[in-house]
Amino acid sequence: MSENIIVKVEDLTMAYHDKPVLWDNDVNIVENSRTAIIGPNGAGKSTLLKGILGLQKTLSGTVEIMGKSVKQVYKKIAYIPQSNSVNWDFPTTALDVVLMGRYVHLGWIKRPKKKDIEIARNALHKMGMQDYAKRQISQLSGGQKQRVFIARAIAQNAEIYFMDEPLAGVDKNTEKVIIDFLKDSQKQGKTSIVIHHDLNTLADYFDHLVILNKRIIAQGKMSETLTQANLDAADMGGGFTIAAM
Amino acid sequence: MLSVYLNKIFSLNFANLLNAIGLDFEILSSYTFIVVCLGTMILATVAGMVGTITVLKGQSLIGDAIGHSSYPGIIIAFMIGMSLDSVSLMIGAIISGTLAFIIIQFIDKNSKLNLDAVLAVILSAFFGLGMVLKSFIQGHPIYGKVPQGGLSNYIFGQAAFIRTIDVQLILAVAIPSLLILFLFYKEFKIFVFDEVYAKSIGLSSTLMYVLLVLITMSVIATGLKLVGAILISSFLIVPGITALQWSNRFSHVLIIAAIVGSFSAFVGTYISSVYAGMSTGPCIIVVMSGLAFISMFISPKGLLANWLRRRKYLNDLSKSLID
Repeated sequence: MSENIIVKVEDLTMAYHDKPVLWDNDVNIVENSRTAIIGPNGAGKSTLLKGILGLQKTLSGTVEIMGKSVKQVYKKIAYIPQSNSVNWDFPTTALDVVLMGRYVHLGWIKRPKKKDIEIARNALHKMGMQDYAKRQISQLSGGQKQRVFIARAIAQNAEIYFMDEPLAGVDKNTEKVIIDFLKDSQKQGKTSIVIHHDLNTLADYFDHLVILNKRIIAQGKMSETLTQANLDAADMGGGFTIAAM
Repeated sequence: MLSVYLNKIFSLNFANLLNAIGLDFEILSSYTFIVVCLGTMILATVAGMVGTITVLKGQSLIGDAIGHSSYPGIIIAFMIGMSLDSVSLMIGAIISGTLAFIIIQFIDKNSKLNLDAVLAVILSAFFGLGMVLKSFIQGHPIYGKVPQGGLSNYIFGQAAFIRTIDVQLILAVAIPSLLILFLFYKEFKIFVFDEVYAKSIGLSSTLMYVLLVLITMSVIATGLKLVGAILISSFLIVPGITALQWSNRFSHVLIIAAIVGSFSAFVGTYISSVYAGMSTGPCIIVVMSGLAFISMFISPKGLLANWLRRRKYLNDLSKSLID
């Protein structure tokens, strides 16, 4: 089976306040994969996602998604930011947040219609959150919040999911719901790119891997990429051995 | 003939009714009161709604900085035009407020200083410049000849000096501002709630910032004459803070903020008209702040509700422990 590259990044260099964060990176994400991005703290994982999505300035490099520029395909991309980027004091309900996933299809000025609300409700239902539709967003637990954001991505009906640490601070149950969702999406032909931090679950949850520490250390199929040598090269080997898995 | 008679009865009854609830019909029907009241109510409505967005965006102090920073623009506009014409002074206020805003953004982006420090410096620098210029022209051989009593009104505001043209100016700003808020309601919502996601679905945050600042700036510029450079930011901040205590829905919060703003404007204007020597702007702000304080205590998200919740929780907990 030949592998199609759905996200192709070449020579990507990014800096934060004149301090280089990412150096000259080539990244290839395989279509219909569940790809994890791992790396030590400060490796530039979030920055890489933002660079790919055009949310943060890049110094050099090109990004192609489905053979086009991000601006041409952004409707097919659902991004789930880290939960600390959200204004939790904002007066809004869970259903309302999921409904925001429809905005990209509505265009300027137009309001969501009945059909959009229907889609949003279904998305909440898929995440097991239908009973919380009217709940104020700040009253939800960490795991419930994350499910609402996944539901928003579902409502957006995208082809590619970019997730920034979706499993950080969530309960076991939510973790299972999210991973089931990723596997389910894969069956529907979708691709997910997920920043992950737990090496113990890595091989169970994902089938492709990108190891990053300012530079790409390794990337490819999970079985070929998750090696002790690669982890050591990314300064992630300490206290963790592949044999222990 | 009959209609005049009917009118008389109606207005008399109406007057009696108002008197009965303690409102002075004489004042309520006076031209000055109506003009001032309309001006402050419309201004407070728009300011309350726009201000809610800035409060939620965590930028309440930027309104304060812009308010103070618009003062030198008023003096310079006076020096150039040698008149107290409301429109030209307003343009001066907008230019100087915008300049301050651009400088704030520039320093914030390019230095490691905290935003609040930058705001404090720019606010006092601009306001100080305004005061220096004002005292400079006071005894000046050229500028001194033109009456300039109205200029100090822009510091603390002087609603009694409001003319019909000022109300028209406020309307000219209020209508497009409300229209923008209404049309781009959904865009503002996602921009405030989750800016990163908003960007990822192709919503330009720069454009939203520009819109927001544009509206804020024009509300401030038109409000200066009524409320003054020092207190104008409360018109933006206080209704929003009050409204946020009462609802979990963005649309409701905006409407409550508008109501809080206009209600305070009415009550404040009335009080200042009934009692001699009371300034309108400060009266309105005292009413507004009173509502905000009360809300902080008794609203569903207020201190009292929190305290009751905590007590109930502790009670339940101790009961379950005893059992």
